Amino acid sequence: MLCYRKLMQQTIHSKQKPVSLASLVGDLTIFLLATAGTYFAQSLDRPITSVLIYLTGVILIGARSGVKKGIVAAIGASSIYNFFLSAPAFGFGVSTADEIVPLLAFNISAIVTAAVAGRTRDSAMSATLAEAKNATLLNISDRLQQAVEVAEVLEIARQTLTPYGVTHLEIHVRREGQLYDIEMAGQPVNALNALLKSRSDNGGRLSVKTCEMVGTHGDLGFVKFIFTEAMSAGGKLLDLQAVTNLLALAIDRCMLLDALSEARALQKSEQLKSAILSSVSHDLRTPLTAISAAASSLRSYEKSLSPAQKEQMLATISEQCTKLNRYTANLLDMGRIQAGISASGFEEIDVVEILGVVLSHVRQSFPKQPIRKEIASGETLVCANGVMLEQVIFNIIENSIIHGGGQSEVLISLRAEDGFCVLEVTDSGPGITRADQADIFRRFFRSESQVARGGSGLGLYIAKGFVDAFGGSLEVVSPVKDGAGTAMIVRIPLAASMPTGAPK
Amino acid sequence: MNILIVDDEPAIIAALKPVLGGQGYVLFTADCAKSALEMSRKHPIDLVLLDLGLPDADGIDIIGKLKEYSDPTVIILSARHLEKDKVRALDEGADDYINKPFGIEELLARLRAAQRRKRLAGKSEASKFVSDQLHVDFPTRQVRLMGQEVKLSPKEFSLLEVLCRNAGQVVTQRKLLIAGWNDPAADSQYLRSYIALLRQKLEYDPSEPEHILTEPGVGYRLSVSHKLKEM
Repeated sequence: MLCYRKLMQQTIHSKQKPVSLASLVGDLTIFLLATAGTYFAQSLDRPITSVLIYLTGVILIGARSGVKKGIVAAIGASSIYNFFLSAPAFGFGVSTADEIVPLLAFNISAIVTAAVAGRTRDSAMSATLAEAKNATLLNISDRLQQAVEVAEVLEIARQTLTPYGVTHLEIHVRREGQLYDIEMAGQPVNALNALLKSRSDNGGRLSVKTCEMVGTHGDLGFVKFIFTEAMSAGGKLLDLQAVTNLLALAIDRCMLLDALSEARALQKSEQLKSAILSSVSHDLRTPLTAISAAASSLRSYEKSLSPAQKEQMLATISEQCTKLNRYTANLLDMGRIQAGISASGFEEIDVVEILGVVLSHVRQSFPKQPIRKEIASGETLVCANGVMLEQVIFNIIENSIIHGGGQSEVLISLRAEDGFCVLEVTDSGPGITRADQADIFRRFFRSESQVARGGSGLGLYIAKGFVDAFGGSLEVVSPVKDGAGTAMIVRIPLAASMPTGAPK
Repeated sequence: MNILIVDDEPAIIAALKPVLGGQGYVLFTADCAKSALEMSRKHPIDLVLLDLGLPDADGIDIIGKLKEYSDPTVIILSARHLEKDKVRALDEGADDYINKPFGIEELLARLRAAQRRKRLAGKSEASKFVSDQLHVDFPTRQVRLMGQEVKLSPKEFSLLEVLCRNAGQVVTQRKLLIAGWNDPAADSQYLRSYIALLRQKLEYDPSEPEHILTEPGVGYRLSVSHKLKEM
């Protein structure tokens, strides 16, 4: 395409000089040379040679400079020949019939050859012009292919058309019955105003042409070209209607792409919704089934059940309710993360204090779980939301206990390090495979090998979402040592190291 | 004690009725703000269990009116993550809150704490707080932990006193700041430091406190899980 562009620019430059002085001088030179040759031949009494020389000159001029100049040359030559050269010299008189025939023949053939040569030259010119026009359109079309958004179409069209003298370009697109200026997205514009007014009317010698765009679904709006006089005079190079058609095509394509990506996003959110629904229905139904079975057994078979069995069933109901509660809380938290968490509700809180709250819940939920703590003295104030931080720490510890393998010890260490409060929860379980490590913070992710252990697949997603909102990070290290164990490391910036003073 | 349960969910009322009735409480119920106000005007209510999401009004907005008639203790029933609502309700005059869903033991403990506080408020200022581990004498400012005397600074003592006088109930940061610094806008950093000092002196493991519990986003609560004796 590059060569086309080069060709185009060359053509434009030559077209921009309307009448070339050089070619006029050339024509005159040929004419004078032919006249001199004719005069010389005539003086040697060679009338046929002289006529042929003159004729050659006229043909050359016609071929070089077109029909008009060819005819001018032909008439000039026949007049000069008749007046100066043929007998009687310095008069138009013709003495014999013998002299009339060659003279007439000369005049007629000079004019006809000039006309023919000129027309050949002109049609060659217009063929070149047509080729250049096509090249222009190809170039524009080629560039427009790259556009993905409607705004890009305008940008590319401007870049491409500027060399042709188009100083300004406006595209008004019709969407749902309203007209929008691409550059002023959002507000619809009044069609009449858009047609009449031009934002670049700066009093210069500019012409305006408006072309309608037609797309696959009918009226697509219109394009307004504002161009210099030079362009409107010299360059018939740009076929504005053809350019408009190309723009319409590109805009149509962009709008279709838009609709397509919207449809894809919708599909994605539908997929997410159905993932949520299937997870919700599974995770709600499992505890509900247990509750329902236990409660109905207690009602129907109360008399045949031993006190220990009854106690067992009541405990099941209670446990499953706790599970349901935690699950709904997770779903709510997921909603909060999706809606975006504002830092405006954050305050200075001490991670040690929240850890204490969490540990008392953990000991209730997992009374047999051995836990070791390593709490370094020092600053552990962070800027966060207490309830959310509680959820983060609980989810991480719960995850380590559930996936840590049996009753092995969970180590919780808390310290300040490089401006961060660092909470590390380490288990001695089988560890997390490298492939799974990338996924554990994803919504509804449950490792293949761990599915049986339950869990909603939301705990770590929520922990990460909240920690991110606090400006911190949550990462996983596995294995910790000897090919086993997993460490979850939370880092939250210390309130003292926050750039703008935390709220007091 | 007369208890008014305000909740638009009949299942919750149905579940609470037998147990609370069995504990000797007299129950009244209302399913909307309008009927709650009507009930509290007609009957001498001692305690209101108030759900915040009522069909005809925000529960927080009727706390003041509920308190007009017989000055009942108001306990808010609220979702866990709505700590802003809790603080607002407590500022509006509510005495305590309990997260939904709750266990019946937790609810009964709150009711007992409210009842005890109400009984003490009826008498002249209580002079002592006694649990099986903690013994606090207000006039002499003496504190004993499992029989051992604990030395507290004046500020530590005033904070502990507020917590003890509201034992079992949440005390907002704001109330503690007023008690300790006479200024609700004081830096909460001071409060945290003094609570940490108190825990150093009173808790077996300050990082897992058993007496002075943190209520994230709201304040502190003195635990009364141990059997209480009042004087």
